[in-house]
Amino acid sequence: MNEHAVRLGTPYKLSCSVNGSRHEIETAPSARLLSILRDDLALTGAKRSCEIGRCGACMVLVDGKPVNACLTMAYQCSGKSITTIEGLSTINGNDPVQLAFMEEGGFQCGYCTPGMVISVKALLESSPDPSDDEIAEALSGNICRCTGYGGIWRAVKRAVEGRRSSG
Amino acid sequence: MLLNRANSGGRWRIRPDGPGKVTGSLTYLTDLTRENMLYGLVLRSEHPHARLARIHTGKAKQLHGVRAVLTHEDVPGLNAFGIANPDQPVFCKDVVRYVGDAIAAVAADSPAIAKQALSLIEVEYDLLETVDDPEMALLPDAPQLHPGGNALHRTSFCKGDTAAGFGQCVHIVEETYYTPRQMHTYMETEGGLFVPEANGRLTVYSPTQHGFMDRMQLARILDMPQTDIRVVSSPIGGSFGGKDELNVQPYGALLALRTGLPVKIHNSRWESVRAGLKRHPMKIRMKTGTDASGKLIAHAVDILADTGPYSTLGAEVLNFATEHVIGPYRYSNLSVMGASAFTNNGMSGEFRGFGGNQAIFALEGQMDRLAERLGMEPWAFRKLNMREPGDPGPFDQPIAATEGAGQVWEAVAKSPLWLEKLNRSQTVTCEPWIKTGIGAAFTMHGAGLGFGIPDPAGGRLQLAPDGKIEAVFSYEEFGQGLLASLELMLIEQFGFAAEDIRIIIGDTDVVPDSGSTTASRATAMMWKSLQRLKEPFLEQMLGRASSVLGIPADLLRLSEGGIRLKENGEAALQLTYKELAQADGAEIRCDTSFHFPVSSTDRVGAHFMYTYSAVAVKAEVNTLTGRVKVLEQFHAVAAGPVINPQGFLGQIEGGSSMALGFALTEEALMEKGFYVTRNMDTYLVPTIAEHRGKVTVLPIEELPAGDEYGPRGIGEVGSVTVAPAIAAAIRDAAGVWVSRLPVNPLELQDVPFFLKEGGDRG
Repeated sequence: MNEHAVRLGTPYKLSCSVNGSRHEIETAPSARLLSILRDDLALTGAKRSCEIGRCGACMVLVDGKPVNACLTMAYQCSGKSITTIEGLSTINGNDPVQLAFMEEGGFQCGYCTPGMVISVKALLESSPDPSDDEIAEALSGNICRCTGYGGIWRAVKRAVEGRRSSG
Repeated sequence: MLLNRANSGGRWRIRPDGPGKVTGSLTYLTDLTRENMLYGLVLRSEHPHARLARIHTGKAKQLHGVRAVLTHEDVPGLNAFGIANPDQPVFCKDVVRYVGDAIAAVAADSPAIAKQALSLIEVEYDLLETVDDPEMALLPDAPQLHPGGNALHRTSFCKGDTAAGFGQCVHIVEETYYTPRQMHTYMETEGGLFVPEANGRLTVYSPTQHGFMDRMQLARILDMPQTDIRVVSSPIGGSFGGKDELNVQPYGALLALRTGLPVKIHNSRWESVRAGLKRHPMKIRMKTGTDASGKLIAHAVDILADTGPYSTLGAEVLNFATEHVIGPYRYSNLSVMGASAFTNNGMSGEFRGFGGNQAIFALEGQMDRLAERLGMEPWAFRKLNMREPGDPGPFDQPIAATEGAGQVWEAVAKSPLWLEKLNRSQTVTCEPWIKTGIGAAFTMHGAGLGFGIPDPAGGRLQLAPDGKIEAVFSYEEFGQGLLASLELMLIEQFGFAAEDIRIIIGDTDVVPDSGSTTASRATAMMWKSLQRLKEPFLEQMLGRASSVLGIPADLLRLSEGGIRLKENGEAALQLTYKELAQADGAEIRCDTSFHFPVSSTDRVGAHFMYTYSAVAVKAEVNTLTGRVKVLEQFHAVAAGPVINPQGFLGQIEGGSSMALGFALTEEALMEKGFYVTRNMDTYLVPTIAEHRGKVTVLPIEELPAGDEYGPRGIGEVGSVTVAPAIAAAIRDAAGVWVSRLPVNPLELQDVPFFLKEGGDRG
């Protein structure tokens, strides 16, 4: 959400990189990253859902680490490199994680999917062959109400294989 | 054959909406924006029950950036909505009846200004006594919430003489079951964009499960012809019944028409919690008895549902619960009484399972308790009392007969889980406080809206000018995989390639009214529509092709990319669909409309088509913490042919997850009419960590010869039998009968032996 009134009070210029492009954004230091992405940059892949950092629908990567964009404030993003779901598939088509979610049916309504894919991406970057405990821990901050997580388990396993065979 | 990717072969496909969903490029209706768009917010009641003395909007209207402040005085048409009975005010005028009641709405240049404007609206309340207990609500001296009293609806179904029946019983079990106020918790909260068009029409981009119903209700509120309103309603970020009724649409529409500008509304999670529907909390009392052999002689049931302040489909949910507390068993004497009471608690309404979840939890609990009393194996006890294939339904109404009951019963009886239960030896683990058990439950679950309720169906196939085959239905895609199911049916039944097809749904300007996407009905109705459309559409397509090619139509066939010869067909494409579309002649288009099959009965709500399902689960109880972990599930589902393997599996897995939450963790707590649970930090939807166990799904596809109804619904059935199966597994593991959901860990905690007094041993 565009926190217009807040901005009028405390002008601030956020410099950061989003999906590889430099951005200078007039905002407030406490503006939420989710609002900056969705309202200022029209990147609506990160979703608004609980807004208290519980559900993970707004997850993005900040310097490669998964964060809830609904809790992250503008000043915390200064000089950082932010990757949203839109930034994953720009090179060579879909990412292996995205392919795995499609092939295994790791989504239904799709509203949690961008955040889920971001979390899986971050997990596999730090742990290419995760144990089930690691998977459960890494994804326990991403709520999916549709799938019962069966397809998500299968997608993560497949993504592990996909990355191994492609890389 | 178990349902999984490997067993599905080429039928396991990437969904047409997959790429948009995994890349985040799919635009949901709450992602939409427009230039000069305003932001709408709704002021909701601070109190669960109060008289509205005055509403002052002056200060809010004067705030810079505020474009409109609306109250009950600003509703041109009917100031009310409700699918079955419009008794929920768009804006309250005299009285507020729950904390979600709307009093005013504002549109402003920014969300912050809109929020500030809400805080400037002054409302004077005279507090009234809060009716927060459905039992109290039905007492004669309770404050009356509606002119017709506090009973929204009562049901009864009796046969024989239960009093005399209980006299003949050798074993009688009496129990009262309580079920929670479960929240849909769709990840996308309610919202949308409302656009006044230059030609005076209004476009509503907002999720719903029945676009034409929203259009009718909005026309009534706005006092506009229905044809001046366009409702665009898909894609949807989850619904589960929760977006079936109007939610933000009246406010967005009124604000857009008043300001002449596009208005966006997107509920915060807390607003979604306070205003939105929940599953009816129910108290179900059951007394059930058998003779010495275990035959059910008498079954007496008393259902009390907390329906909250307004009707929506509360009466229909009670009808469904009444039918499903009888369920798949035969009784000599039966007496069911139900009441759905208005209260000042949250709104209850339509939710996946539709009253079946509560009813089946109670009924299956009775079956397990009776079996134990008899010393019988619980599954054998069910078999002894099960309806036979030729039997009528729960209300003694004629139903579409299948062998489903026996098939799913047998599947569980032969399942590895059940065999493990029957053959296990007492195992001692190194953690003696961890106890495992296995339980199972069984149901017949009705699909469609039932007798006496309009339940239209239908659709259209047409050849578009660009050569695409257009399949046009008014159904919605809220994640269940409707687009994928329709695409696969078109490929398999007509021979098209996926690229030949364009699916059009969810837009009242261009689709025929196919009825609602509810009640496990849409896939069955699309299947039936295509059956009815196939012959006339083939005739038109091949007839046109014949006149273009000069080849008799009966030598031609539809295929990937265009028309081919029936014989010797693969290589030679005679005519592309584009060439066919450009050929001279009338538009190629076929429509069908019909009614969902209903029983020849006079019992309102009685169903004709049923899905049979049985579930076995293995669960682990930690008797130190009282926590329950579900280790494994086996679902047998007899629902006719599997239309879309990935979708079918997803519906059963997803439904079972919702049931897991219903059984173990989910409850939107209320205190004196106020929500205590306000967001997902305290409302505990199962996470991936609760879903580490294996879920196996066995679809039973066989239907009786000559069956003309095809696939039965599977959207709800995964969510209705898991809770009683978990309760049975808990009994098996820890010796405790659970009768209240979600399971309270305190009930399962045991004092470890080393802390017990010495004298207590032994």
